[in-house]
Amino acid sequence: MKNLKKYILSAAVLVAFASCSSEDDNAVANNVTLEFNNTFGNTPIVLGDATSSSATVNTSEAGQVHHFSEVKYVVSNIRLIKADGTEIPYNTNDLDNGATVINQANPETLSYVLNDIPVGDYTEIKFGLGVRSDLNTLDQVSFPEFYAKAGSNETEMHWEWGTGYRFTKIEGFYDTDNKELSFHSGSTLTDDADGNFVQGADAYRNITLSLPTTATVGNNAPTIAIKADFDYLLSGDSHTVTIVSTADITNNATPSAHTSTEMMKYVDNIGGEANTTSSGMFSIISVEN
Amino acid sequence: MKNIASILAVIVLVTSCSNDDNYESTPFDNPEIDFNIPANFPLLNSSFYSNKPTTFGVELGEKLFTEKRFSINNTVSCSSCHVQTSAFADHNTLAVGVEGRIGFRNTPPIQNLAFMNFYNWDGSKLQLENQSLVPIITHEEMDSSILEVIGKIENDPDYEDLFEKAFGDEDVTADRIYNSIAQYEYTLISANSKYDRIQRNEGETYSAHEAEGALIFENKCASCHSTALFTDQSFRNIGFPINPNTEEAGRARVTGDIDDYLSFRVPTLRNIEHTAPYGSFGQFPTLRAVLDYLDNGVVDSDNLDPILKNNNNRIPLTEEEKSNLIAFMTTLSDVEFLGIND
Repeated sequence: MKNLKKYILSAAVLVAFASCSSEDDNAVANNVTLEFNNTFGNTPIVLGDATSSSATVNTSEAGQVHHFSEVKYVVSNIRLIKADGTEIPYNTNDLDNGATVINQANPETLSYVLNDIPVGDYTEIKFGLGVRSDLNTLDQVSFPEFYAKAGSNETEMHWEWGTGYRFTKIEGFYDTDNKELSFHSGSTLTDDADGNFVQGADAYRNITLSLPTTATVGNNAPTIAIKADFDYLLSGDSHTVTIVSTADITNNATPSAHTSTEMMKYVDNIGGEANTTSSGMFSIISVEN
Repeated sequence: MKNIASILAVIVLVTSCSNDDNYESTPFDNPEIDFNIPANFPLLNSSFYSNKPTTFGVELGEKLFTEKRFSINNTVSCSSCHVQTSAFADHNTLAVGVEGRIGFRNTPPIQNLAFMNFYNWDGSKLQLENQSLVPIITHEEMDSSILEVIGKIENDPDYEDLFEKAFGDEDVTADRIYNSIAQYEYTLISANSKYDRIQRNEGETYSAHEAEGALIFENKCASCHSTALFTDQSFRNIGFPINPNTEEAGRARVTGDIDDYLSFRVPTLRNIEHTAPYGSFGQFPTLRAVLDYLDNGVVDSDNLDPILKNNNNRIPLTEEEKSNLIAFMTTLSDVEFLGIND
């Protein structure tokens, strides 16, 4: 009986605390939702198979029509920057709680909620397209949830031979006869005994976007709508890509699932060239407070 | 007598102490193994020094190497494809994994890897410790995951015993699995072929054909198949028949450099008699077929190796030279390493 009283008392205390923080005008943190909109220009992408009549068709700078049956990419290393320059990292060293796979076929994945972002006025967002090389080791022991999410049959974002994650996976069709295109990106960096990356390509890209409206985290939980314009894939700032079906790899770009010779052209187009401030295919549509 | 009694008492005291000690400072007796480096071999891969083979590390690694629970349906172990009598390769053109799934390339032999700086046909790994995860997770190989493997073996008393002996406690961790397999692989050294014994002046001599072959080898092969490893570990496109699998880019798959397209690491020729078929996807059933191909002329390309390019895309060989070369290459067989009677 005494025990029961204790329980009731502590429950009451808990409720008191909980109600305190929800009624508190001086919230210390709130959520920020990132909403990813995958488009060709301003048109939302509708996926479809080879002969689909509903799929969104795009025409590249080189004049090639194309549409997609699959669009997936990894977003990680998210940081929000306050007006005063303070950078708030969001679980940037924890793929289980700070990374996600955006999958156009699964609407739930298009919104990613950042929990408990400290109160403040945010004017910039940074995130990674792909996984930073120091975390890109398919380490199931450290990050079992992200490993499972990325490796599921729905996403297939493990790149086994490179023991890393696929950063982007796009399947689709091009030209009027709907030949298959397949674009996978990922890093092939390999480290030596001293932990230095001594070979391979780094397909990770850091994206920096200024917010057109300040995102005010406080009693409000802002939503930042981000556009990923896949027109950039073939018609980017870095490269105008003509897809060819021959095995001649010197003939501009043959889409290939596993070869990094041509991969970096696509990577630069959608993620911007490495070590530049280019934001690739990404831009901010709106900030709603 | 008194002395012995007091020593015994001290021992009992110490023992009971450490038993109570929750393993924290339990000393374990796991000496580094005597690692005899053949005199003419190149330097060890520097990863070796941070994962030196120990008695029980190697024993554990060998047990894991033959562990079929590494695969999703407990049917395939490392040793399913890496068969000792084939210098730890096999005789399939392409590797075969769970449910008969066909892999991407020909199974490479595992020998003298402690002295290699690049692993796999395309050099995609630089440390053995980072390699063993790849077959565990690859769909066409074992199609499992490291946590699945750990879950299957961690309560097995044999493993509890060996992990404790090797690492001081019975925890089965991913790194311990990777490290012990690498330790075992480091010990797979082939350096006792007839060729080696002749080099060491141990009284054996080449037959006339073998001696002829050795001379031809020196003239026409040794610029790539160099050092005591019989590979200079460079990556070269030598115009072998092209893999119809469009995923194949050779070394370029790793580097992204178009100049590396369809380049592969020069393979060792040790125990080559026992590792047929040959080529990255098993293009050639016999050594003779390889030599015939090089003699007839190879596929031209922009990045064809200059040695071939400057020689009309071929290595001219008479039929007699081919026979003698093959005779020489059989002197690179190490029956002790292969565990076979010649």
